[in-house]
Amino acid sequence: MTSCKSDMLELQPLDAYSDAAVWKDPVLAELFVNNIYMRVNYPGNKFAITCFVDEAHRRDGNDELNFNNSKISPDLISKDWFSSSGNYFWTWDQLYISIRACNKFFANIDNLPVDNTLIDGVTMKSRMIGEITFLRAYFYYCLTSLYGGVPLVTKAYELTDDFMTPRNTYKECVEFISNECDKAAGFLPLTYSGNNKGRITKGTALTLKSRILIYAASDLYNTTVFPSFANPELIGYVDKTASARSARYLAAKNAAKDVMNLAVYNLHKASPASTDDIAQNIDEIFNSYVTTEDIWVRYYTPTSFTVDRYWDALVLPNGYYNQGNNAPMDNLVREYELRDGTAFDWNNPVHKAAPYKNRDPRFYATILYEGVKWRPRYASLLPFDPVGVIQVGTWQKWNSTTNAMYEVYGLDSRKGQNSAFEASYTGYYVRKHCDINIDANFFVNDKPWRLMRYAEVLLNYAEACQALGQDEEALTYINMIRKRAGMPDVTESGQALRDRIRHEKRIEMSFEDQRFFDVRRWVIGPQAYVAAYKVDVLYPLLPDKTTAIVPTFTPKVHQTYKWIDKAYFWPIMRAEMNKNKLLIQNPDYL
Amino acid sequence: MRLSVFFLFFFVAQAFSTSTYSQQKLLTLKMQGAKVIDVLNKIESESEFFFLFNQKLLDVDRQVNIVVKNESIGNILSEIFGKTNVTYLIKDRQIILTTATSGIGSDQRQQQLVKGKVTDQSGASLPGVSVVVKGTTSGVITDADGNYSVSNIPANATLQFSFVGMKSQEINVGTKSVINVVLMEETIGLEEIVAIGYGTQYKKTITGAVSTVKGEKLAVANTANFTNSLAGRLPGLVTVTRSGAPGADDATLRIRGNNTLNNNNPLIVVDGIANRSMGRLNANDIESVIILKDASAAIYGAQAANGVILITTKRGTTGKLKITASYNQGFSTPTILPEMADSYTYATMMNEMDSYAGQKGRFTADDLQKFKDGSDPWGHPNTDWFKEVFKPFSLENNANVNLSGGTESVKYFVSIGTRFQDAMYRNSGSNYSQVDFRSNIDGKVSENINFSIDLAGRQENRNLPAITDQPPFRIIPRGRPSDVSWWPGGLPGPEVESGQNPVVMVSDIPGYNKDTRYIMESNLKLNINIPWVKGLSVTGNASIDKNFGVEKTWQVPYYLYTWDKLTLDEKGLPKVNGSKSGPSDPMLEMSMDNGQRVTLNALINYERRIAEKHKIKILAGSESSVGDNMTFSALRKYFVSSTIDQLFAGSDLEKDNSGSANRTARLNYFGRVNYDYSSKYLAEFVWRYDGSYIFPEDKRWGFFPGFSLGWVASEENFWKGNLPFINYFKVRGSWGQTGNDRISEFQYISTYSFGGTIGNGMNGNEFVTDQNVQNKVLVENSFPNVNVTWEVANQTDVGFDAQLFGGKLRLEGDYFHNYRTKILTKRNASIPASTGLKLPPENIGEVVNKGFELVIGYSDKSRDFGYNVSVNGSYAKNMIKFWDETPGIPEYQRTTGHPMNSELYYESIGIFRDQAAVDAYPHWVGARPGDVIFKDVNEDGKITALDMVRDYRSNIPVFTTGLNVDLTYKNFYATVFVQGAFGKMRYHNVESGEAGNFYMEDAEGRWTIDNPDATKPRTFNYTAEYWKSQLNTYMLRSADYLRLKNVEIGYNFPKSINTKLGIDGFRVYVGGLNIITWCPTLPSFDPESTYQDYPLSKVINLGATLTF
Repeated sequence: MTSCKSDMLELQPLDAYSDAAVWKDPVLAELFVNNIYMRVNYPGNKFAITCFVDEAHRRDGNDELNFNNSKISPDLISKDWFSSSGNYFWTWDQLYISIRACNKFFANIDNLPVDNTLIDGVTMKSRMIGEITFLRAYFYYCLTSLYGGVPLVTKAYELTDDFMTPRNTYKECVEFISNECDKAAGFLPLTYSGNNKGRITKGTALTLKSRILIYAASDLYNTTVFPSFANPELIGYVDKTASARSARYLAAKNAAKDVMNLAVYNLHKASPASTDDIAQNIDEIFNSYVTTEDIWVRYYTPTSFTVDRYWDALVLPNGYYNQGNNAPMDNLVREYELRDGTAFDWNNPVHKAAPYKNRDPRFYATILYEGVKWRPRYASLLPFDPVGVIQVGTWQKWNSTTNAMYEVYGLDSRKGQNSAFEASYTGYYVRKHCDINIDANFFVNDKPWRLMRYAEVLLNYAEACQALGQDEEALTYINMIRKRAGMPDVTESGQALRDRIRHEKRIEMSFEDQRFFDVRRWVIGPQAYVAAYKVDVLYPLLPDKTTAIVPTFTPKVHQTYKWIDKAYFWPIMRAEMNKNKLLIQNPDYL
Repeated sequence: MRLSVFFLFFFVAQAFSTSTYSQQKLLTLKMQGAKVIDVLNKIESESEFFFLFNQKLLDVDRQVNIVVKNESIGNILSEIFGKTNVTYLIKDRQIILTTATSGIGSDQRQQQLVKGKVTDQSGASLPGVSVVVKGTTSGVITDADGNYSVSNIPANATLQFSFVGMKSQEINVGTKSVINVVLMEETIGLEEIVAIGYGTQYKKTITGAVSTVKGEKLAVANTANFTNSLAGRLPGLVTVTRSGAPGADDATLRIRGNNTLNNNNPLIVVDGIANRSMGRLNANDIESVIILKDASAAIYGAQAANGVILITTKRGTTGKLKITASYNQGFSTPTILPEMADSYTYATMMNEMDSYAGQKGRFTADDLQKFKDGSDPWGHPNTDWFKEVFKPFSLENNANVNLSGGTESVKYFVSIGTRFQDAMYRNSGSNYSQVDFRSNIDGKVSENINFSIDLAGRQENRNLPAITDQPPFRIIPRGRPSDVSWWPGGLPGPEVESGQNPVVMVSDIPGYNKDTRYIMESNLKLNINIPWVKGLSVTGNASIDKNFGVEKTWQVPYYLYTWDKLTLDEKGLPKVNGSKSGPSDPMLEMSMDNGQRVTLNALINYERRIAEKHKIKILAGSESSVGDNMTFSALRKYFVSSTIDQLFAGSDLEKDNSGSANRTARLNYFGRVNYDYSSKYLAEFVWRYDGSYIFPEDKRWGFFPGFSLGWVASEENFWKGNLPFINYFKVRGSWGQTGNDRISEFQYISTYSFGGTIGNGMNGNEFVTDQNVQNKVLVENSFPNVNVTWEVANQTDVGFDAQLFGGKLRLEGDYFHNYRTKILTKRNASIPASTGLKLPPENIGEVVNKGFELVIGYSDKSRDFGYNVSVNGSYAKNMIKFWDETPGIPEYQRTTGHPMNSELYYESIGIFRDQAAVDAYPHWVGARPGDVIFKDVNEDGKITALDMVRDYRSNIPVFTTGLNVDLTYKNFYATVFVQGAFGKMRYHNVESGEAGNFYMEDAEGRWTIDNPDATKPRTFNYTAEYWKSQLNTYMLRSADYLRLKNVEIGYNFPKSINTKLGIDGFRVYVGGLNIITWCPTLPSFDPESTYQDYPLSKVINLGATLTF
């Protein structure tokens, strides 16, 4: 009876693999590695980090509004905060879960039997070690960029372990990430053929190293922002001497150079022909399946998302039955220079009269604005817009029957006919990475999302060179980017050059999750968090009772922002502080 | 003459009438060779006379010839009975037939004569009482004044006095010559036998806390879903029906409230088989429903911690074939529909909203005027979307036929039923229908061998709109009143959002969803009395339950139309333009599931009475249950045509299929010992040794005991002497442990699964590494907990049952204390997130749940009028004793020591009347006049998360009550049932502004510049206002309610008519369900709903039941 009963109750799950099965089969182990890739956050899904800085506005995001008013606190920030905005894998909890998965891999990989009888198991194992080494470093890069030094956990905990871990210093974290990138590069191939293009390469690892090192050389970690903070080693370098800092810039410069020296990457259409539509060239960077500029991309298929939950559907206008998220703020739009390299200025009446004329070609590849041609409208909207242009404005019209003025609202405006509550508040929509040939209401744009591309390496390199006083070298590389964009060369030097490089990065890398971190490391919070600006577009009624053909544009504050320095670092959640008594909170958070 | 209790009751009552009918009424009869009984029936049918007699004493089959014309009743009776020993007594319409002298006993030496009077407790004389010498057929019937006299009584004879509805009495004659008897009314319910899990017991000797309700009571409710008929009927059982949607209206059931942080569902046992479903049972098949509330449930061991609901279906009884046919036609409407703003109010509020955003209002004065006066129905409509979407009423009906009867060797109950419930939407294919059958056969092979074969099956059809991800009740209130629902010519109006238009969403225009489920339940039972051991029997049960389902979702593109408000067609009507919504091309998803469960058990019963007073009952048994389930689904998109909705016709592009499976296994041993001393001292011990596949091998088995004691104090002599008016009083107490294994399985194994949805619509099971190159993904499931074991419920109960005044007044009370330990909960609060562990739940939580139940019932009857009133109330309040709560949070935010499922809210303390008020008090960033004032609870001058305070209400009520009134008057009867629930809340979660229309309750009396002293906030836009996005007490509404749950008024046709029709009974009734709901705090929503759910139905029922 006893044997009978234990047999009967001894069942195995029919919907899961056991630990033992996974770690004796390289094929299953690879699927586990794939899972860790899936835990890399990227802006293709829902709202981006871009809404937490002066790039884009989220139409009904209370988290964003609180954040942009520096209302962040260890209590207000919950486990899900930030993730509710779609940045699911960008939170303390999720990043550490990702890190645990990597640690779990390392705890088991040595026992994984590999041979070459059926597949090239040896190469695969080596590749997987490189991938996971990189990915763990990447997750620590995310944590370090938000919090400063964090506990460096490199083992897979068991329930019975002691969980208390102090924060490592910022320096230790940067060294760890940088070293791990080097280590990963040693395992990884330079390129992949065929079906593995979505995996990371040697170049990916070195680019992350370039990124973390240029961050580490920046003002936030090398100047004293929080003079009274008792644990400066957690949020920056203790050795803030000029020589130490130069060494950091040099390391950053060399790291960027290492990527360049791989000689596998080039800017896409680096030297545009005079006949080229440069905005078209720029658009191709984001709407091609592959370019020479790609360092790390995330591919999709049409089934990667439900139809209304991917970038194009999320950001395009309500008038195209899309959701109008991540609306570009005028703060960004006004930064696009005129084609001749002069700055745009709303106070310049010529600029104000025709603000979208003759701008940097990247503007046209990035922003949808009043009057720009986009896709044809659905039949039901053709009476209001037979051509297919973006309408965020208001038309004042005269009703001769009632002898009164009435207003007609643009299809893509906050008072448009379709789902007006899904319209942008700013008067702009994102175009970057949206494919004009795809009706995003019904179809997924399966072009990959660029997580890292070569332009960033050149910008990092230029930034490091400039900081090291090597202005000529800096100019060479920054102007490569300008040239590709069809913009005249930069000629400044010194601080002015530094500012041009920063500006160039803001324009070139908009909506690519860079600005949020750049604002912090450059310590320019007070300039960035002033207000969310929008533009009002009006086609006024003329004295002759006809409606103006040319609208008037009025930039306005939509929401005021507020900056407090503590927001340079995120607070560690109260709950986590309580659970791990060894943690020290970031400055100015109670 | 088959006098039913019911009829007799009225006939007796009528005996007191004082007219002289008998003298005036003349009858004409012509009957040759007729039986006496037929003649009497004939007289009854042609007159208002009715006969009372004891069939045992009267030879009703004697043939007589009677031919009279316009004869008085006296003369007719004289003709019939003139030459017999039958005497008759005419008392107005009542005629009592009695034998002058009764049969002749064997012992004729004694010629004793006994006479006397029979009365009821109130002293009223009782006519028609049968007085029989025990052991003989000799006897008489009391006359109209309750007098009787019996002669020729043997020595030491015993007289039996019996009367329907009264407790029989036996009195030893001895030497007495006058015996006056007071008959007590039958004490209701005590002789009832109730199912208590693997057996039955007399209610009067039960020691556990159980409540029971008869099937007929529940059938009166005529609810489409059986679970909904239970509301308020069983003290201790809480029901909450979140949605009234046809086919998806199962109530949430809680016995004694919530007891655990995990699954609180009770175990449902139908005809002895655990884990059967209950919602779709046919109420006409139900004999009784019993809930086990305390440790008496321990016989169900590891699944019993949340209480057990035992349902018994009807079985056949010996007798001729009886056929009952019934039909009910219901007309249903929602209990409540929100009143939405009209287009003028909506436009006004939208303009206010714009002005608060610093913009010019989107509607001009001209627009407002047109909305107001309705002069421009196409350009400026005033659309009431609820009216557009809902029919005035929808139909539901059910029909049922059952046959029962049997002989000593075979008894049967067979029924077949159908049910149809239409959804409330216009132009919709949404509905629920069901066909069910049940066949319960009992057989007797020999004196000692019995068997039964039960078979039940049903088909459930659910038809729903194709697009079910947005419930209609969410999208309808979002419809703008300023939009048109249908254009002239029947084209649908514009979308609210994402291609959704309410009138289209509820229709079959976007496609359909059909879900068909088949359920087959069987049980074979064999019972053998072991002849050589008195009182020993063995029983074996084998049950196979199967379920099978197919679901088909067909989505097609559809078109919505907009008008530019300018272009007119040749008829001067709006010329509209369509745009495509839904999928780009038709798509079809089909899924099926298939499962079964086999339950086998064997029981040994031993029952023995020792020395008359000691009664012992022993049960031991073993049961095994194994189940398996599988699912399979397939998807094809891009159908070139919508003509054929079958998988083959779809494109190969993006086609997909999937499947899954699971298994379950349980094995256990259990037993029960009852000891009963003179029905006075009662003791019970139940136990179960339970094994479940859910746990690791060394934690797999658990022992669950339950003890209970009872003392029927009213059986004590001192009680009988001193407290005779309390004719029954029992105190009882119980303690026991039960388990809850309703937790995730295999928590002890470290496993990896394919990824799934990561969130936000992203497919987590697809790592893409090149264009169209998909790779699988394996995710580590939560960390294994090798020590996982059952939750343990420590249940204590003390209670009493009492009956007073011969059972007229009934009282029942219980106090309980449930202490749930080893609740699986995560150590989230003490293990840092930096470990990255997806923590498994561990057996660390503890919850205490305390409360009481009280039932008071009173029933009485006088003359034509009978009534039965009962009130019950149940109170249960839980408290988290321990779980891993994050340390360091302020006391007013803590959950430990407080009820479960609470939330933190900002405290609303009014509305900012003006800017000065805003400036004068700490406020949210951007607060403006008209906003809700949040209280600065910690008085730090800022409104932060630390100002949130916990409200301990949830959507499960703390106190529930039911009031039941049954009235009878002559052939009429009425049942009224009122049910209430208190201590629950509902959050005012609405989507208004740019996301949808405003609710009138938010519009009326809102803050405006002209109405600064309002108690309601200003016009808001979706969640843009901080008091819409942050939980706060302004939006938190009490959901206490009282409901007139059932009313039924019926009429039983009199026997005279039935006889003519050749039927046994005919009943017609009109009834209602959820007729009136009193919930002043929720003007827009049903108090049981939690979100924008389909409300419960208010149903008017008309029906008839015919018995042959």
